[in-house]
Amino acid sequence: MSQANGTGNNVLKADAVSVGYTDRPVIEALSLSIKVGQITALVGPNGSGKSTLLKAMARLLPLSAGAVYLDGKAITKLPSAQIAREMAILPQGPSAPHSLTVAELVEQGRFPHVGALHMLRHQDHEAVRQALQLTNMTEFAHRPLDALSGGERQRAWIALTLAQSAPLLLLDEPTTFLDIGHQLEVLKLVRRLNEEQKMTIVLVLHDLNQAARYSQRMVVLQRGAIVADGAPADVLTQNLLGNVFSVQANIVTDPVSGTPVCLPYDTVSVMALNKNLTM
Amino acid sequence: MKLLLAEKPLQSARTVSVQRATAERAFAVRHFELLLSACVVLILLLIVLHIAVGTLDFSMRQIVLALANQPEEVLHRQVVWGLRLPRALVALAAGGMLGLSGALLQTITRNPMAEPGLMGVSSGAVLAIVIFIVVGANGAIGEAADVGLSLPLVGMVGGLAEGLLVYALSYKRGIVSGADPMRLVLVGVLVAGVTSALTSVVLLTANENLMMRIVYWTIGSTSGRVWVHWHTIWPIALLAILLGILSIGWANALQLGDSVARGLGVHVERVRLGLLAISALLTAGAVAVVGPVGFIGLIGPHAARMVAGGDVRRLFPLSIVFTAVLLIASDIVARTITIGWVGLMTGLDVPDTAGLPVGAVTALLGAPFFLFLLLKGRTAL
Repeated sequence: MSQANGTGNNVLKADAVSVGYTDRPVIEALSLSIKVGQITALVGPNGSGKSTLLKAMARLLPLSAGAVYLDGKAITKLPSAQIAREMAILPQGPSAPHSLTVAELVEQGRFPHVGALHMLRHQDHEAVRQALQLTNMTEFAHRPLDALSGGERQRAWIALTLAQSAPLLLLDEPTTFLDIGHQLEVLKLVRRLNEEQKMTIVLVLHDLNQAARYSQRMVVLQRGAIVADGAPADVLTQNLLGNVFSVQANIVTDPVSGTPVCLPYDTVSVMALNKNLTM
Repeated sequence: MKLLLAEKPLQSARTVSVQRATAERAFAVRHFELLLSACVVLILLLIVLHIAVGTLDFSMRQIVLALANQPEEVLHRQVVWGLRLPRALVALAAGGMLGLSGALLQTITRNPMAEPGLMGVSSGAVLAIVIFIVVGANGAIGEAADVGLSLPLVGMVGGLAEGLLVYALSYKRGIVSGADPMRLVLVGVLVAGVTSALTSVVLLTANENLMMRIVYWTIGSTSGRVWVHWHTIWPIALLAILLGILSIGWANALQLGDSVARGLGVHVERVRLGLLAISALLTAGAVAVVGPVGFIGLIGPHAARMVAGGDVRRLFPLSIVFTAVLLIASDIVARTITIGWVGLMTGLDVPDTAGLPVGAVTALLGAPFFLFLLLKGRTAL
């Protein structure tokens, strides 16, 4: 695994990034540095631009202004396959042909290492085996994807990104459409990859409490701008919930993990608006 | 205590399921090379059978001897080498090309209904050929057009031009510019519809003599295909199939969706354009020589997918051989059900020598077969 040389601890850096049409930007002049070895959670209301920021950093979307640096080098200057060896991205809601098996899917993760014209080598099979093992998918290796549960399928997709052997992993809403048990399973896997494999992970999450519990840093976006950034305990405040998510909530400390937990009890603006309307 | 007890069966259940997982790999996957070789042998046998079927009856022994260049009579050699072998080889090449084209398009568009004519290539080739026949008949080109190189070349140009048109019309500027596969499918259907209508219009202006030839071109047939056709089709088949096989790695990544493929380092737009070009070349090459033989480019890849799964490394080679088998077998059926027999049934006066066009057989047998698969619920639709 490579280290971030010359850039301090910032392995991935968005510098004044804008995405979208010039007259209608989704995010505008946004800067964010991802620190090596951390789990960073991007949160924010729907349409705040958190997924767009993640995709822009993963070169899935072209920038209309600004630049993204990977290990200090502008990603537009790097060959796409080289980026894929350094940084893996799992987009939201990926889909594959039904009859593809888990192993066949995960083998595609070696594409940036092998190229299109060559066969898998010994080290590639080894990387695939490890990826399956890390995600506990070894026993499902030869099962078609459509014979798996939602949680297993998501683990298979994460295994695909792990097979890339990239030290940096970006996940776009990896828990969406999963039930609570499978959500925790995925998040525990993310934490394990961070702790045991020393991977740097950036993920977009919807659930604020899960973000607070499983990340070391929370970045809150609102209307295409970063409005809060820091340790979960500092970020998750009543003020922020009111301003950004328009909810009134109590913040308590989780007795097990010691992380902040928000308990929303009312909405702010919508209720106020309704009151105004009825009056 | 209870927990401890529960631990043990769980452990053994896991080892069992690991063993089962290995056994779970489909037979066709474990013995893929064997399956592929069996298909190649089957193709060789079918070619001999294909050569044996015709208006002049030959025994298998006579055919094999003639093929081995030791004919019992000179006539055998003339018929087998001059007429029937090139026809069988053309059917083989066209089948393989249509199969790979269909598999490529199904992979690129991630749409199981995609078939070689998707990009309007087939209808474009047919329109060009029909216009050429009609205009040529009025002018100086006349009957010779069907024999020479000109007709396949005109078909190729027409097919590729329409494919390019469909791509250009599907191209959309946005945050991510490119031809989105869904748009491609829609635009392809619409453009092909307009082209087929134009073909009908041109058909109306043709005289009765030309009508029969044109109808054969619009259905797809191997009748009268000789060495000149083989010499047209094989360089394109060799080039395009080679390119298609070389592109397997890209196609495999692309079928995971644009975002995942981009994340893996694939230049999605560039690769998609390249794969579409290969499929257009395959379709145009095949249709320009045998006409738009329907359904096999849809069914062949589907059968391959059902047998060996969605991994392109197996899907592409198997689609080629399956579809070649389908086309040659259908052509044998087409030649066995002679027009004389059809004429007897329908009371129509049809020439005895022509044989049923293979496109009619693939549609007659292929469509119901496909429907059967659908109703059985076994396809991955």
